[in-house]
Amino acid sequence: MKNLKVDVTDLKKNFGDNHVLKGIDFKVATNEVVVLIGPSGSGKSTLLRCLNRLEEPTSGKVVIDGNNISDPKTNIDQARENIGMVFQHFNLFNNLTVGQNVELAPVELGKMSKEEAVVAAKKLLNTVGLDDKYDAMPQSLSGGQKQRVAIARALAMNPDIMLFDEPTSALDPEMVGDVLAVMKDLAKKGMTMVVVTHEMGFAKEVADRVVFMADGKVMEEGKPEDVFDNPQNERTKTFLEKVINV
Amino acid sequence: MKKIIALISCMFGLFVFMNYHEPQVNAAEKTYTIGTDVTFPPFVYANSNNKYVGIDMELIRSIAKKEGFKVDIKPIGFNAAVQSLSSGQIDGVIAGMTITDERRQKFDFSTPYYKSGIVMAVAPKGDVKSLKDLKGKKVAVKTGTAGATYANSIKDRYGFKTVTFDDSDNVYNDVKNGNSAACFDDSAVLNYGVKTGLGLKVVTKPTDIGSYGFAVEKGKNKELLSKFNSGLKKLKANGQYDKIIKKYTGESATASQKKANDKADSEGHTFIGLIKQNKSAILSGIFETIKLTVVSIICATVFGVLIGLLGVLPSKFARGASTTIIYIFRGLPLLVLALFIYNGVPSLTGSKVPAFIAGIITLTLNEGAYTAAFVKGGIQAVDPGQMEAARSLGLPFGRSMRKIILPQGIKIMIPSFINQFIITLKDTSILSIIGILELTQTGKIIIARNLEGFKIWTIIALIYLIIITVLTLLSKWVERRIND
Ligand SMILES: Nc1ncnc2c1ncn2[C@@H]1O[C@H](COP(=O)(O)OP(=O)(O)OP(=O)(O)O)[C@@H](O)[C@H]1O
Ligand SMILES: [Mg+2]
Repeated sequence: MKNLKVDVTDLKKNFGDNHVLKGIDFKVATNEVVVLIGPSGSGKSTLLRCLNRLEEPTSGKVVIDGNNISDPKTNIDQARENIGMVFQHFNLFNNLTVGQNVELAPVELGKMSKEEAVVAAKKLLNTVGLDDKYDAMPQSLSGGQKQRVAIARALAMNPDIMLFDEPTSALDPEMVGDVLAVMKDLAKKGMTMVVVTHEMGFAKEVADRVVFMADGKVMEEGKPEDVFDNPQNERTKTFLEKVINV
Repeated sequence: MKKIIALISCMFGLFVFMNYHEPQVNAAEKTYTIGTDVTFPPFVYANSNNKYVGIDMELIRSIAKKEGFKVDIKPIGFNAAVQSLSSGQIDGVIAGMTITDERRQKFDFSTPYYKSGIVMAVAPKGDVKSLKDLKGKKVAVKTGTAGATYANSIKDRYGFKTVTFDDSDNVYNDVKNGNSAACFDDSAVLNYGVKTGLGLKVVTKPTDIGSYGFAVEKGKNKELLSKFNSGLKKLKANGQYDKIIKKYTGESATASQKKANDKADSEGHTFIGLIKQNKSAILSGIFETIKLTVVSIICATVFGVLIGLLGVLPSKFARGASTTIIYIFRGLPLLVLALFIYNGVPSLTGSKVPAFIAGIITLTLNEGAYTAAFVKGGIQAVDPGQMEAARSLGLPFGRSMRKIILPQGIKIMIPSFINQFIITLKDTSILSIIGILELTQTGKIIIARNLEGFKIWTIIALIYLIIITVLTLLSKWVERRIND
């Protein structure tokens, strides 16, 4: 793989006695969309959070865009400016309006003037279909709307890579489509993405690669059609049977 | 934010400045700080103009005049006066203090200025007529007095129990309402009280227990002591001494005071009458209480917010420091903390702390610890996802705190802040223990003179409720402004 965006080698993470990641090697190329699947507790969120050091790795190396994220000497705030993250529970800033949520980081970190940020925020809200919500408070939005604002907020920093941690699993089913549409659009525009999701349809349609994790290890990875239609690993088989039979 | 902090520090500085009265240093006339107990007529009490009068007061003032020095009278109560003297907070104590061997260990006494004995007083209608009748009964005494020492020394022999109070008024009331069968106090004090309408009667002859002396810290202030002794000698020689004693114990003196009391009885038994008579004292008490409350609310809030913020920093050391400070100052009883700062610290360091400053430090540490605890709790109550989202965008910790976490945390904290302001106001009353003349101490002193415990405490309680209501309304108004 050339043009490596993410390069994780032998990543281990323990929470006390709980060995959650047991030596992960994980690479993502520029413009690639990778979907992470696996049973609950397998360590998907932990892996994602190690990529922008919301979790401190116990050992191993995480390199993003040539930046050694796992090195304590790295300026993590600067590195994070280029790594957008979208959370399962949106985490919109409750004390700010939708517009302010999107404008806050670029203005505070000196990327844009207030005026530029307003223009950029309106444009981003337009692309996620929420230009009429600029002055609304987060509390007044539906889950699907919140998640689209959260995506706009992450995009406002103009990141090179976007991390999604189950962005649709807290949503009512009729909202899921809107959010996935925004993500597909993003993928089409060439954004590098790592997505933890149970939306197999999305994975088949958008992912360049699917990575299956279990027990803190990568069990199997490959093109979506290979992994879904012809899984090699026993664990993958049982997992997929369960997911598809629901 | 910075402006507010600057404003607060300015206000604090101003208050400290306003309240720190540099003793007037006059090359010729030195000023000595003298502690006393103004609930001890006829030796020391506040007259109806709230001036401190009595045998002790006239003596010390006349001696000061004769010997060319000035006195600054601190009406801090007997117990606090004795403690403040040992810790060097004050230079001398004159408060009808009996010279005893035990006290000689710690203090140097002047030549005796009054000979005294202990008598027993009972309710006029009771069946107690002598010490023998006390078997199985309770006897009321005032903490730290010679009367208390005497009562304790004979209680096993006569089979009674003692109950201690901090004020003479409470002692007398306990006997009057029948809780205690009798009380023991200095004969001059009780005889004066009986003659001026106290409502008790003296049933024993004075024991020969000794004399009153003016006290200074042992080995210190030799100069003051010798000035007192030489002044006293002069007053005795020129007849002024006898005049003073007669003025406060003679028939005419007690008769006129009784007349004054009776007059007050007829015209001033009402609440309105009592308020009118004590208007200036009560007003200055209210002002002092408000001043203490405002300054300590400001200081405690600044201190509490800082310590609370320390408690949510990523650094383990900072969090540990915050927890420890909260643990210590929330754990210490306010009373202990006040006495420690006012009496304990100066006896260690040898430098005086003005009572107002000691009071502010006490409230700042104690109320600040509570504030820190709910500031910390308020911040921790904000969903951790908010911090993660801010950090994931590249915002540094401090900026995330200020822009996202604190604005949400403060809303959670506001009810606790209002609650803490009200508690601070109430806690200022505890500072009466170090002699600050705030509302509660004012009440004690007024009652020591007019013995109207029920009515004066009712008035004081109502005043507190009024101030608390105003404070609450003010806080609610601020709360609405913040929430809009
Ligand atoms: N902060 C933490 N402290 C202690 N244990 C943690 C912490 N975060 C995660 N874990 C543990 O790590 C393990 C993996 O958690 P993780 O959230 O990465 O799983 P996941 O694959 O994302 O599961 P899910 O599909 O349920 O989200 C779990 O056993 C979890 O209990
Ligand atoms: Mg997860």
